[in-house]
Amino acid sequence: MIPLKYNVRNLRVRWITTLMTVIGTGLVVWAMVLTFGLTDGLEHALSISGQPLDLIVLRKGANDETGSNVAQATADQIADLEGVAKNDQGQPLCSAEFVTILTKPRRNNGGTTNLIVRGVDVMSRELRPDFKIVKGRDLKPGVNEAITSENMARRFENLAIGEKLEINKVDFEIVGYFEAGGSSAESEVWTDIRDIASARRTADAISSVNLRARDKESQALLVDKLKNDEQFSLQPLPEPEYFAKQLEQAVFIKFVGLFIAVFLTIGAMFAAANTMFAAVASRGREIGTLRALGFKRRSILLCFLLESVILCLLGGILGCLATLPFNGLSTGTANWATFSEITFAFRFGPRVLLQGVLMSLAMGLLGGLIPAIRAVRLNIVNALREQ
Amino acid sequence: MKTLKYIWRNVMRNKLRTTLTILSIGFSLALMTVLHGFMVTQSAWGDEAKKYNRIVALNIQGFSGRLPIAYVEKVRGMEGIVDAVPYAWYGGLYKDEAQMSFAQFATDAEHAFNVWDEFKITPDEHKAWLADKQGCVADRTLAEQQGWKLGDKIPLRSTFYTFPLDLNLVGFFDAPNNTGQIWFHWKYLDEGLRNTNARGDGNAGMLYAKTRTAAVIPDLVKKIDAEYASSEHPVRTQTEAAFAQMFSDMMGNVQGFIQSIGIAVVFSLSLVAANAMAMSMRERTTEIAVLKAIGFPRSRVMRMILGESCLIALLGGILGVSIGCAFLELGHRANPQLFAFGVKALVGPWMLVLLAVSAGIGLVSGIVPSVRAAQLSVIDGLRRVV
Repeated sequence: MIPLKYNVRNLRVRWITTLMTVIGTGLVVWAMVLTFGLTDGLEHALSISGQPLDLIVLRKGANDETGSNVAQATADQIADLEGVAKNDQGQPLCSAEFVTILTKPRRNNGGTTNLIVRGVDVMSRELRPDFKIVKGRDLKPGVNEAITSENMARRFENLAIGEKLEINKVDFEIVGYFEAGGSSAESEVWTDIRDIASARRTADAISSVNLRARDKESQALLVDKLKNDEQFSLQPLPEPEYFAKQLEQAVFIKFVGLFIAVFLTIGAMFAAANTMFAAVASRGREIGTLRALGFKRRSILLCFLLESVILCLLGGILGCLATLPFNGLSTGTANWATFSEITFAFRFGPRVLLQGVLMSLAMGLLGGLIPAIRAVRLNIVNALREQ
Repeated sequence: MKTLKYIWRNVMRNKLRTTLTILSIGFSLALMTVLHGFMVTQSAWGDEAKKYNRIVALNIQGFSGRLPIAYVEKVRGMEGIVDAVPYAWYGGLYKDEAQMSFAQFATDAEHAFNVWDEFKITPDEHKAWLADKQGCVADRTLAEQQGWKLGDKIPLRSTFYTFPLDLNLVGFFDAPNNTGQIWFHWKYLDEGLRNTNARGDGNAGMLYAKTRTAAVIPDLVKKIDAEYASSEHPVRTQTEAAFAQMFSDMMGNVQGFIQSIGIAVVFSLSLVAANAMAMSMRERTTEIAVLKAIGFPRSRVMRMILGESCLIALLGGILGVSIGCAFLELGHRANPQLFAFGVKALVGPWMLVLLAVSAGIGLVSGIVPSVRAAQLSVIDGLRRVV
């Protein structure tokens, strides 16, 4: 086995070539990890939104809240059902909500896009993960007030505290910012359900009923009852399932990420191969000497593969590190399931970083393989005679 | 001419290195071609739309708002309007599919082909559509993809409305680019909704109108918006191009993201190519010294080396753009809603720009090696044993 030190020294001696290859692969890995981080952030926002015990109850046949409506009387009956969890005050954890989509301008001339405005009742807050007001105060029902997340306030016109959002000629004043554990609720504007219903002048004022089941068994019973009981005949979906459906719509973004990764990896692989071929070509005598000293073909192969892997891994680590300033940076795109903006933060968790490192590993291995084989194939006598 | 020959010989000297560099540049540029092609698709949509002088009106609140059907008749009667139709997105699921694979719109059979006058349908099929209350017409390309024939039933489950549709395919229309849509009678949906006391009746969804000339559009937009400004359902009217722009806006800052990836890729490619060139030059130090010794001027030596690096990079660029175009064409065939145009419609200066970018990568990567070679002292170069 040839000591690792040999490779490290070699890389150091040809430091310009090493540096250029490392920066080259580093940039490629950077671009890939950035793309993965984007996809992961979107997936995270959608998956954290789904609480396992929560049910979202829609009209039968509706795909999402925007195309659904539930009668007030039905919503009241659902709240009284056996199996709905209760909070400390003994009230059922069940909320009727009204969702509407408005086309509103982004800040800084970012064009217009659709914005989800949700009419909520008291219990909606307890049903969201870690809901809390982080700035300003919560909205008061009956006086046309609204709250949203800080991200949304940054992204949309008229959503900062003190500004007014116009809905059907009624002004809703933003009075606070909330957080909800990074879930998709943070992509919404919340107002009181009765206030928005009167602004929208609509008779069907409830889109969906959200509730938390006491446990898994009662959840199954509730699903069965809501689905099959004549008096309901609704479509209850466990929240994880509901958001998983929206994730399917994010498949496109995932596909783009993968596409970018594959192409860039192949490109970088050839670059690594080039560097390694040059390394092998200029070290003919060294290789011949090593062989003459009795090093096995196997160790030579391993030696050059290792060198290539080290080279690319250095680039990979550099690329991963370079994405860290973007960690937590929020961005947004269209959620094609709801046809509206969803904001989320780039996420470079261990999985994403590992993906980046694995990609650089693949570049090193595949790029180094053929040069290493060439090194092994050198004829000892010819190699030693080389200048 | 001689210089060119010399450059070509040098390019071909280390075939392996040249091939690897070309492939490396090629794959990265293929990626950029696809990403740019996608962006061009977005704007080409708008450009295409500009040709036809159409305007679109929506409820000011957006897609979820109501646009009363009476507005269509009113707008149709306005000066400067050729024709107007309701255009409501149905959002149905075909047979047992779980995700929508094509779009369905409720419109007005009598007027639709006046608004989209570039779409072609045979008079017989148009008549058949007018005669069949549950009739629908499909984009011919979509119908071919789905394997539909005239007379086929197209059942649609609804997700947005509460009224499922039972459509008969009675005709095909040919559009300049695959729209991936089917059209059915707005009245069929509306009556269905009213008879079942479902919500959403009387709603035109969107209003599409064709104007006589591009010049009358600004006034008409203002006029329509003003007409309903104080009503219960105010509208926002815009050109079809602006409407198309809205969809690409919704994607957010994709453009910026693609550009930042592009810059990273170009930068990293320059390094990679520069590396390869530097390696080539190091091996040729003695040779360059000989060339200078027999009287080649510095400028010619520089030209030769820059020419070599540009040629290699440009070959990579040509390969990359070709692969990218192949992917765009495949994308168009597989998913016409995402890639609305085939390569033929996308050909444009941007492809030359990408080729120029690749040549630029070559130029940048050749600078350091060529300057070094030009400054090489003949004696040192000849003395050096590589």
